[in-house]
Amino acid sequence: MGEPQGSMRILVTGGSGLVGKAIQKVVADGAGLPGEDWVFVSSKDADLTDTAQTRALFEKVQPTHVIHLAAMVGGLFRNIKYNLDFWRKNVHMNDNVLHSAFEVGARKVVSCLSTCIFPDKTTYPIDETMTLCLRRAYFQQYGCTFTAVIPTNVFGPHDNFNIEDGHVLPGLIHKVHLAKSSGSALTVWGTGNPRRQFIYSLDLAQLFIWVLREYNEVEPIILSVGEEDEVSIKEAAEAVVEAMDFHGEVTFDTTKSDGQFKKTASNSKLRTYLPDFRFTPFKQAVKETCAWFTDNYEQARK
Amino acid sequence: MGEPQGSMRILVTGGSGLVGKAIQKVVADGAGLPGEDWVFVSSKDADLTDTAQTRALFEKVQPTHVIHLAAMVGGLFRNIKYNLDFWRKNVHMNDNVLHSAFEVGARKVVSCLSTCIFPDKTTYPIDETMIHNGPPHNSNFGYSYAKRMIDVQNRAYFQQYGCTFTAVIPTNVFGPHDNFNIEDGHVLPGLIHKVHLAKSSGSALTVWGTGNPRRQFIYSLLFIWVLREYNEVEPIILSVGEEDEVSIKEAAEAVVEAMDFHGEVTFDTTKSDGQFKKTASNSKLRTYLPDFRFTPFKQAVKETCAWFTDNYEQARK
Repeated sequence: MGEPQGSMRILVTGGSGLVGKAIQKVVADGAGLPGEDWVFVSSKDADLTDTAQTRALFEKVQPTHVIHLAAMVGGLFRNIKYNLDFWRKNVHMNDNVLHSAFEVGARKVVSCLSTCIFPDKTTYPIDETMTLCLRRAYFQQYGCTFTAVIPTNVFGPHDNFNIEDGHVLPGLIHKVHLAKSSGSALTVWGTGNPRRQFIYSLDLAQLFIWVLREYNEVEPIILSVGEEDEVSIKEAAEAVVEAMDFHGEVTFDTTKSDGQFKKTASNSKLRTYLPDFRFTPFKQAVKETCAWFTDNYEQARK
Repeated sequence: MGEPQGSMRILVTGGSGLVGKAIQKVVADGAGLPGEDWVFVSSKDADLTDTAQTRALFEKVQPTHVIHLAAMVGGLFRNIKYNLDFWRKNVHMNDNVLHSAFEVGARKVVSCLSTCIFPDKTTYPIDETMIHNGPPHNSNFGYSYAKRMIDVQNRAYFQQYGCTFTAVIPTNVFGPHDNFNIEDGHVLPGLIHKVHLAKSSGSALTVWGTGNPRRQFIYSLLFIWVLREYNEVEPIILSVGEEDEVSIKEAAEAVVEAMDFHGEVTFDTTKSDGQFKKTASNSKLRTYLPDFRFTPFKQAVKETCAWFTDNYEQARK
């Protein structure tokens, strides 16, 4: 692919996913800088669980920087069924990407963790010092700047809206859509009591780009709305119901698992760096996502 | 290789190492049972960090059982230098072995963890339920996390497919066929080699660190019992009791006595001490085997020193 034009060639793995598409949009809308060459790849370009394919991709692209978003992901119920696969495939992908980046001499890699990985029994709010990052190993042994972000619950256009496998907010959006079409009730799984901090994918995309350019610590950084913006699943369902103008009955199936009760994360570290960053208000972000889903129902992943 | 004769074909990875050689000896000395076919392999037979080689090995041997001892290991100072390699190579090996075992339908896999992987900040004694409760000691975080992931992967195989993949957790192992390299090895073989050199050259013995940290040392072998009888997925600590924990200073004294060393013994306190203690509980083991007798520490040290002296040329160092 030749020498990166200007100073940076940024390879984004998982480029076709929820966060990848958001970064693509934000860059296309003007967030890119001169000298930045953005390359978005997906599983069509390489199977990242395969070492040889990953290495070939990195040798072809020759990135100076990597945003590593590709992962095997899913909501609560999919995880419960396939813990082995979630472990193995993600370990393979992560090792292949990190080591290929190292081998081609990438200057910086930003990977993506999640607040769902923190200790279950913990004090709140959880913060960055509670994670171990293996990127420390690359830093300690070779001095590479491999770091990570930790978003809370991400949602937005281009999500996986599959009800069985996806996360709670896209699941609710899809359920309301179906409930409206069939004139039935909305059944929310669980009690509705667990609490989550939601982050809009377009906000996260902007923060990812900032991390790529400016954040140089190896210790990861939580990217989230504040603790005060944590909402219950019930409140999230109400936001979807309001955004989609649903007037049917809303019930809670308490035989279904609730998952973790809360994972309240602190965004103090982010606020130290970016005190003035404005998150899109939750209801507005939900409304935009619902509108996207309705307008793109045919091709949406579900 | 054909169908396993009788009921079990046991593949032992890391067969040429400290623990692998000990199992080999114990089996040769009569601990094997009729119907057990023991196959010991080493890096000469396959590079277990390579998926294709590992799969080929398992397809050739067709084990019904696996004792997985192969690992990239080392003492304090080697770990501090190479945390990335300790993480990657061990994760690769462990995934290749566990998944190949799964693919050939092995009924049981017993892997090997270590008490050095437990949380650094903890209450004592540590026990089997505490492995994942906090970050490990910083000196060997790469190795520690790789070993912890064996337990994660065991539980995942059980949850997704019902496999009996389990693990043992020995404390500080020593004995014949160890790695006696002073830079890279563990403390007891390191001390034995140092005393040997100090005797030959008429110099002092310099022990690294203050001599204050405490360890439980294990000489004898319980792996075979675990392979045959222990069926929990949760790991089991294999160790002498808490009361048999000794300081590094006491360990050095045992080596000095065993090797009849009369020179000076000094402590280089500029060198790292590593973790101060990792006291483990052997209550779970005692519930299963209340009458198991460990070889007394001084006797085991004496036997190991004698082995080293007699096998100096070919010993790994």
